[in-house]
Parts: sequence; C-alpha cells; structure tokens
Amino acid sequence: MKGRKLYNRIAVLREERGLSRKELAGKIGVNFQTVGYLEREEYNPSLDLAFRIGEVFGLPIEMIFSTAPMKPLSVELMERRIERGE
Amino acid sequence: MEKQMSRTSRRLAVVINYGAILLFLVCFYLSDSVGWNVPIAASVVTAILVALITFFSLHVRTKLWKLVHSKIDKLDERELQVTHEALRYAYGIFTVVSLLVLLAIALSTPQWDSLLILIFASLLYLAHTLPSSVIAWRKKDH
Repeated sequence: MKGRKLYNRIAVLREERGLSRKELAGKIGVNFQTVGYLEREEYNPSLDLAFRIGEVFGLPIEMIFSTAPMKPLSVELMERRIERGE
Repeated sequence: MEKQMSRTSRRLAVVINYGAILLFLVCFYLSDSVGWNVPIAASVVTAILVALITFFSLHVRTKLWKLVHSKIDKLDERELQVTHEALRYAYGIFTVVSLLVLLAIALSTPQWDSLLILIFASLLYLAHTLPSSVIAWRKKDH
C-alpha cells in the first residue's frame, strides 16, 4: 500500500531555530540528506522519527505534519484565535 | 568525492555498464568459435574500459555502492527503505536472469538433460517460496 503524501513545516522551523540540516540531522539521528528529503516532502517519516522531530522543535506533531498542504504557522494560529473568539 | 548525477545520466550509465559486460561475454563466445583476432581483442579491451569507467562513475563516485553495502545499523530509516526496495527489485531481476540463463543452457544441450531440468524446476520453486519461507521462519508467535 502506498502511503499518502505528508506535508510538513520542517524547513521553516529549522530556519527559525537557526539550525543547519546537518545539525538537525544530528539531533534526530538521521543522515543530513534525509533532512533534505523530508523538507522537500519526498519522504514520509516513521511515527518514531516524526515524534523525534516534534521533540526537537518542542511542538506536537500535528503542528509539523499534515495530510493537507500547510498554511503558514502564523495564519494557522490567527485562525485558531478567531475560532476561540479571542 | 561524492558526485550527483541526474536520473537520466544514471540510467544511461546502468545501460552502458551492462551493455559493456554483455559485449565482453559475446566477444569471449565469438572467440571460441572463430578464434581471437584484432577486432575481437579490441572489443574486449573497449568493453573492459567502458565497464570500469561506468562502474566508477555510477557506483563509486555517487557512493551508491557504499549505500547498498553498508551495515544496517549505519543507515537511517529512509536509507534502509531505499536499500530494501532496491534489494527486492534486484532479487527478482537476478532470479529471472539466472533462471533464464539456466534454461538456455538446458535447452541448448543436444538431448534434454534431466538433471538440469530438475535443477531449473527446483530453483524456480525456491525463488518463489523463499520470501514467504523467510517470513515463516522469522515471524513471532502471538
């Protein structure tokens, strides 16, 4: 069975935290080329790797990965605030 | 030094590499029937050189050789997935080619060699049942 394409915010989050691909790769325990594949959404990570990525960025995995194309984090946060009536 | 190649270049290199090996084998086959001469010897030398050059550029410089020959614990999950998929294709292709070669040898003998036919049938059976046998062997009880 071929898995669904997963979208992610890894590239943005990595840039925000000032990490190089090699540094992020070291933190999540993969080859740095794999970080490139993840950022280009050419490879779907295992659940274990997704959790490790979430732990590095300090975010739940649903904030990093999605089965639908992802909006910028700022837009998503604003929409959530509006939904909550803040 | 690692060198990136485009998919088209890699595919071309694969075809040329195996083509050179095939030319090498054909030359040796021809030399058996017509003897060695300058064109055949030149073709053998060319085939060896082309095979070596394409092997180096396709397998060594791209580090693909290293990838598929690394120990499992040295690879991350994506690399493992890539190598496992490659091994699955390679296993299938190798089996088909080996059996075709064996079949060709069996059919080329003047009389049907019963032992060769039996070996062919046994290998065909082994090739089809080996994957499920490995699972049967390794699968844990619940």
